[in-house]
Amino acid sequence: MVLVLALGDLHIPHRAADLPPKFKSMLVPGKIQHIICTGNLCIKEVQDYLKTLCPDLHITRGEYDEETRYPETKTLTIGQFKLGLCHGHQVIPWGDLDSLAMLQRQLDVDILVTGHTHQFTAYKHEGGVVINPGSATGAYSSMTYDVNPSFVLMDIDGLRVVVYVYELIDGEVKVDKIDFKKTAATTHSAH
Amino acid sequence: MSKEILKEEAPSSSGVAPAESRAFAGLRGVQWRINLGILPPPSSIDHLRRVTADSRRRYAGLRRRLLVDPHVPKDGASNSPDLVMDNPLSQNPDSTWSQFFRNAELEKMVNQDLSRLYPEHESYFHTPGCQGMLRRILLLWCLRHPECGYRQGMHELLAPLLYVLHVDVERLSEVRKLYEDQFIDKFDGFPFEENGGAYNFDFKKFSDYMEDEIGSQGNSKKVCSLYELDPEIQAIVLLSDAYGAEGELGIVLSEKFMEHDAYCMFDALMIGARGSVAMADFFASSPAAESQSGLPPVIEASAALYHLLSIVGSSLHTHLVELGVEPQYFALRWLRVLFGREFSLQNLLVIWDEIFSEDNSPLDKVSVDSDHFSFKLLNSRRGALIAAMAVSMILYLRSSLLATETATSCLQRLLKFPESINLKKLIEKAKSLQILALESNKASFSSAFGGAYNCTKSPMSSRNVPSVLVSPKTALSLLPDSYWEEKWRVLHKAEELKQNSLGKHTPSGKKRWAERIKFGLSRTESCPAPAREEKCKKDRHSVRRNLIDDLSKQLGLEEDAEKGGCFEASNLEDHHSVEVQGEGQNCAINGSICTAEDRCENGSGAVVSEENSSFFPDPPSPPGCGINDHENDTEKSSVASNLSVDDNDDLQRRSPEDSLHRVSLPPEDVSPSPLHENESSGKTSSTKERRNLSGKFQWFRKFGRSSVGEETSDKRGGTNEAAKPPIHDGKRSTADSSAATASCNPHPTSMDQNMMGTLKNLGQAMLDHIQVLESVFQQDQGQVGSLDNLSKNILVGKGQVTAITALKELRKISNLLSEM
Repeated sequence: MVLVLALGDLHIPHRAADLPPKFKSMLVPGKIQHIICTGNLCIKEVQDYLKTLCPDLHITRGEYDEETRYPETKTLTIGQFKLGLCHGHQVIPWGDLDSLAMLQRQLDVDILVTGHTHQFTAYKHEGGVVINPGSATGAYSSMTYDVNPSFVLMDIDGLRVVVYVYELIDGEVKVDKIDFKKTAATTHSAH
Repeated sequence: MSKEILKEEAPSSSGVAPAESRAFAGLRGVQWRINLGILPPPSSIDHLRRVTADSRRRYAGLRRRLLVDPHVPKDGASNSPDLVMDNPLSQNPDSTWSQFFRNAELEKMVNQDLSRLYPEHESYFHTPGCQGMLRRILLLWCLRHPECGYRQGMHELLAPLLYVLHVDVERLSEVRKLYEDQFIDKFDGFPFEENGGAYNFDFKKFSDYMEDEIGSQGNSKKVCSLYELDPEIQAIVLLSDAYGAEGELGIVLSEKFMEHDAYCMFDALMIGARGSVAMADFFASSPAAESQSGLPPVIEASAALYHLLSIVGSSLHTHLVELGVEPQYFALRWLRVLFGREFSLQNLLVIWDEIFSEDNSPLDKVSVDSDHFSFKLLNSRRGALIAAMAVSMILYLRSSLLATETATSCLQRLLKFPESINLKKLIEKAKSLQILALESNKASFSSAFGGAYNCTKSPMSSRNVPSVLVSPKTALSLLPDSYWEEKWRVLHKAEELKQNSLGKHTPSGKKRWAERIKFGLSRTESCPAPAREEKCKKDRHSVRRNLIDDLSKQLGLEEDAEKGGCFEASNLEDHHSVEVQGEGQNCAINGSICTAEDRCENGSGAVVSEENSSFFPDPPSPPGCGINDHENDTEKSSVASNLSVDDNDDLQRRSPEDSLHRVSLPPEDVSPSPLHENESSGKTSSTKERRNLSGKFQWFRKFGRSSVGEETSDKRGGTNEAAKPPIHDGKRSTADSSAATASCNPHPTSMDQNMMGTLKNLGQAMLDHIQVLESVFQQDQGQVGSLDNLSKNILVGKGQVTAITALKELRKISNLLSEM
């Protein structure tokens, strides 16, 4: 019953002023155990705000981040799952599943979370999951048209993870759910 | 729960369960369930089993409903439930997730408390199974009753309930071991034969098999018929038969369903099914809907305690009220956890046995009429017993409470109830008080409730019990005068005081002291008649101690100033104590004025010494020892003598103060005096004062000397005022000594010869001391009793006059006494 919030690409203050109020009302402290952020916050104030939601905060560096000391990639273990985090501008072509799968194998994680495209995607790939939470503020992107604000909440429970996707479409919050089950604790060896 | 209890009952010959309600005395769990109303009074085993099963089913249903797993889709929900509502971040309070989070919060609170539950019995209470059960029960109850929520203390109510169930189950397994064959159905588990049809069942082989088993165990149990067993064992067997009514669910003593049963018991206890006492009320912070007093129930219940205490032990009650010890400071814990924190677990179980065996139905409808105020707590037998239990606990600590001077020390003693206690006595006392409590609740009050819990006012007005003339039936029904009579006396007295004295600071204070000491003197337990007097005295005793402290502090300030040249004073003090001892030995608190005056003089000298503060404890104690010898004297004489002694004590208190420290005194005098004045005017909540005065006047009235009473009140006034004697004790002492001799001389022969003799002795001793004091003072002051010196002090002139009048009055008193 671990709730993990995944979001990124807020681009505050350059491209957006703040999170949409409907999102902000949903994000209350106390419910979420971990936050993973793909990057491009861009300023420290956003990091502080996220810290108030949950003390366990993991961020990787996006190209516009003003804090230079975030790592490029990060891995962490929550429950039975290994999660990998990266902004994604390093992986070219941007948003390409196979390249991301390479990164996933490289980091040896079950769930890979990347951003940069400002577009929500979630793929099941080779026994793992690749998730892109999109942009939480709906900031402008040169790659994607009509960006909708979105973020992802993962409910990790034993060998099962339920991914809730929250999108703001036409001013309404739409929620979707995807179930992933990890095949019993097999470490996939790429060799 | 022991076998001995059961053996008392005659074994019933019938096979059906015994019909007595104490049939399950050995099985606390069952007994309590019956008492709390979950199980019906034992009519038949089958019925019991059915009711048990029903209640368990209810619990299981509740559990399934309320302990929600958000991952599991709701019953009948479609495959795609409305995710907008049902996602983890949803703010919607109806969603399963928010329910889940609410439960999680509640659980956190419960866990905190559970981890601190009964650390001394952690072998049972801290096992994960037990903790898990407790947690679930509490969670479910709180979810079921969201208006109460979870409050600290509920876990302590629940824990003993679970414990008794556990004990029962253990008992069951003991019995099972002994009578195993009764529990086993002989067909279960018996190996199947190839042709194991029922018809061909080889009974012979079976019996061989059974005998083998028995033989191998080799103990004395025999295969006997169920009905030959002891009724208790019989009951246990029948209750536990897996094939009885309702099958396994109906096994009344079952480990598997302990959680269910504990929940039912807890629920019944908290809700107080159809009864008057519901524990849940005590956890509520807001007043109940139909509350007459508009106070939270637990405050009201605490006040009920004090009300009962005021009837039973009014001195203790007033002492506590005076110190400002509100009942809810300690009663909150006592009531909320039903004494769970005050006693060890085993003692607690005994107490709860008693409490639960009382019926909980409300005795009379709580009327909304403002005239008739009754306490909800006392409205049922069970509630009355709870209140009585609390009061008996307070009374148990009586002596140590009366000895305390501050509220914090009082509370410390109340909150740390002693470990080794005579539980039986406590319970017996509680039972006797319970009857009183029930009665008292029916009487109507005219005064409004609330405000300062000066409940003494209310019972006094409602019980116009006649004065001391009517000897009390038991110590419990002692009551002071009616409220108005006392008030009148107090006012009258205050009036006189004002007339007699000019600057009434110390006199009043002194006077009160006099009373205190006086009544403190005659603490004779054996005399029934002065029992009432005793109570008053004890009140005053405690107050006097307070006063003593105050004054000692004041004098302590003056101490330094006085150190110079007060050496003889120490001699005096020795003298004083010697004299007092002598008095004590003579059993002579039949004091005459002589005695009093004498001591007074000594007192003044003693005060002068460096041991100012130590002096003050002295007077109480010597009078005390004097009192102890006093038991055989008639109450009249004792009281009268006390009166006089007190007066003189007052005198002596005041004289040193005034004489020595003119400058520093006035401010200090002001403090006790306004205090006294307030009290004497009957405005404050201290009814003690009133009682003291009334008590005094009572005595005089009793002797049929109302006029004398007036006089004495005058004297009192004068005496108090004489509390401001001038520096010139020397002068006064001469006057005193002469007065003393004068008063000592005409001892009428109508009194007992003993008393006469002692009076004479005292008189002589006093005289001697007066003279010594005189000389000392003269040396001290270095001024040979010249009025001129005295005139330096503001009040000297007046003081002397007043002193002399006081003396005259004292003389009159002594005459009066001698006539008796």
